[in-house]
Amino acid sequence: MNEGPILKVSHLKTYFGSKGGLFSKGKVVKAVNDVSFEILHNETFGLVGESGCGKSTLGRTIVKINEPTSGSIEFEGRDIVKMKGAELKAFRRDLQMIFQDPYASLNSRMTVGEIIREPMEIHGLYNSTKERDQKVSELLETVGLKPDHIRRYPHEFSGGQRQRICIARTLALNPKFIICDEPISALDVSIQAQIINLLQRIQKERQISYLFIAHDLGIVKHISHRIGVMYLGSLVEVGESNSLYREPMHPYTKALLSAIPIPDPRVERSKAAVEISGELPSPLDLPSGCAFRTRCPFASERCAKETPQLRQVGDRQVACFLYEK
Amino acid sequence: MERSKEKGMAVTMNPESTNLLEVKHLTTEFETEQGTVKAVRDVSFTVKKGEILGIVGESGSGKSQAMYSVMGLLARNGVVKEGSMLFDGHDISPLSFEGGLKAYDKYMQGVRGNTLSMIFQDPMSFLNPVLNIETQLVEPMLNHMKISRKEAREKAIELLRQVGIPSPETRLRQYPHEFSGGMRQRIIIAIALACNPKLIIADEPTTALDVTIQAKILQLIKDMQRKSGSSVMLITHDLGVVANMCSRIVIMYGGKIVEVGTADEIFFQPHHPYTSGLLACVNNPEEEDKELQPIPGSPPDLLKPPAGCPFVDRCSCAMRICKDYMPEMTELSPTHRCACWLEQKKEVLA
Repeated sequence: MNEGPILKVSHLKTYFGSKGGLFSKGKVVKAVNDVSFEILHNETFGLVGESGCGKSTLGRTIVKINEPTSGSIEFEGRDIVKMKGAELKAFRRDLQMIFQDPYASLNSRMTVGEIIREPMEIHGLYNSTKERDQKVSELLETVGLKPDHIRRYPHEFSGGQRQRICIARTLALNPKFIICDEPISALDVSIQAQIINLLQRIQKERQISYLFIAHDLGIVKHISHRIGVMYLGSLVEVGESNSLYREPMHPYTKALLSAIPIPDPRVERSKAAVEISGELPSPLDLPSGCAFRTRCPFASERCAKETPQLRQVGDRQVACFLYEK
Repeated sequence: MERSKEKGMAVTMNPESTNLLEVKHLTTEFETEQGTVKAVRDVSFTVKKGEILGIVGESGSGKSQAMYSVMGLLARNGVVKEGSMLFDGHDISPLSFEGGLKAYDKYMQGVRGNTLSMIFQDPMSFLNPVLNIETQLVEPMLNHMKISRKEAREKAIELLRQVGIPSPETRLRQYPHEFSGGMRQRIIIAIALACNPKLIIADEPTTALDVTIQAKILQLIKDMQRKSGSSVMLITHDLGVVANMCSRIVIMYGGKIVEVGTADEIFFQPHHPYTSGLLACVNNPEEEDKELQPIPGSPPDLLKPPAGCPFVDRCSCAMRICKDYMPEMTELSPTHRCACWLEQKKEVLA
């Protein structure tokens, strides 16, 4: 096993410009605002946050669907921000992505065989169509579908089966790293568990690292080794998943955890809710200092003036002045 | 409810009854190009006065269509084939309604938004984007209650305050796009409460919202229910949500009810293999991580539903009889019922 992280993101910023009108200046959405973290080999890193916190943009920036505004993304020690041409193509073989909506991410005019074969053809893997088809059958079996599904079209499959096809397509290139962007939130509860178990089995068999993006902390805690919590473009807390769940430190993590509905009436009856007031501020107009201060029960004057940085506190990284002396 | 007497409705008032809604043998079908979809098949349940009843099922289990049948809001190709529905002593089934479909629609318009109101999943498509909040809040009150516009406006302000919208006087003049998703859902709850309904049907009210907002909206529904004493039917796929909210739970699968019980009975003594399967495949973050136990396979095709138990193809305890015959409901306790041949077998052996 290689030493060091497989992915290292430092001070990454992705901004989207919004065009100004005749009299107004254009505003900037800071979707990802100075984010740094590392993912190790064979590790699952969970990224949670509410809608609009920038978690999907972060994932899309790492696969270079969105261009970063500044910062660096190192994949196995090489900076991918500057990559172009053949080098970029080679890198894309190692890093693949599974999307949220399995209805939108499969071409309905292609058969399952064509869909899974396409990445191999683009990257020139294997010599003949016959060899590729052989590989497609193997992949279908890996993800729990039948080899004779190869000639069928996506509309003949249910949501869970479609997500399996998507997973087979990402595995076609033997990637080292897969970004899963809400891979189960479009699926039914009884199907979600099937996909989660499949992802875990594939990781064990093929030593793949995952960046698992979701809004459901319960599932993220189950699948991840470490979790990062995002709020309005910034990471507010990063830690080992069990420890982060048991003892959340950042006020936002605490609020997020207390809001998860637990499937156990006894726990629900005894649970004390942590109140957070107000709603998510507009990302066009971020509060000064700590982005969470407008809703935080512990906010002080300092929170408005300075922006807290992620700092090591015990086994955890937290961006909050409460944990600074 | 004088309206119903004029129309010659069969009124069977029973003030002693604790049941607000009684649905018996409801069967709803949809005509499609591919054939007849049997979405709801022989479903019977009751909603008691002042309770929150949870209806849990996956997509395609028939949970939403069963509710739309009750509300008279089925899509044009949907028909209630069988069943009786008794709401607050009035028969609201389209089958027993005298005077044809048009009269039924008109009658249901008087019931909906009045004594029976709804909260839907998507707050954006529920609100009319070109009308301000005031119009949308006041309209149902003017339609259903003998009240002046001024009184209705005052009540609207009071309702907005109750559902936690700050400075309601100014917000009343704003349009839906000026509100966030959570705020819009609060407005919809205010509209649902406007005419003091006896029953509120909430169809996945928080699925489109973030968890922190979801927690607040659920708390709000709970508080409002407690204050007004009305009954709530909460339709959801999320077991975590019903654990928090409901006193009784109905589990639906493949167009049928497979198990009914109190929250404790469903969570701690599930009897139907589907219920226990569903509980085993959701992760309870409070417990130590263990491997999830998914239910293999996928739900049945309701174009040609199995003759027997809908769960037979995915059930680990399936027997020969399960494929051909649907089991009757077995009473396990006064509050707990389950439709499974395993229970019948136990009875025979005992």
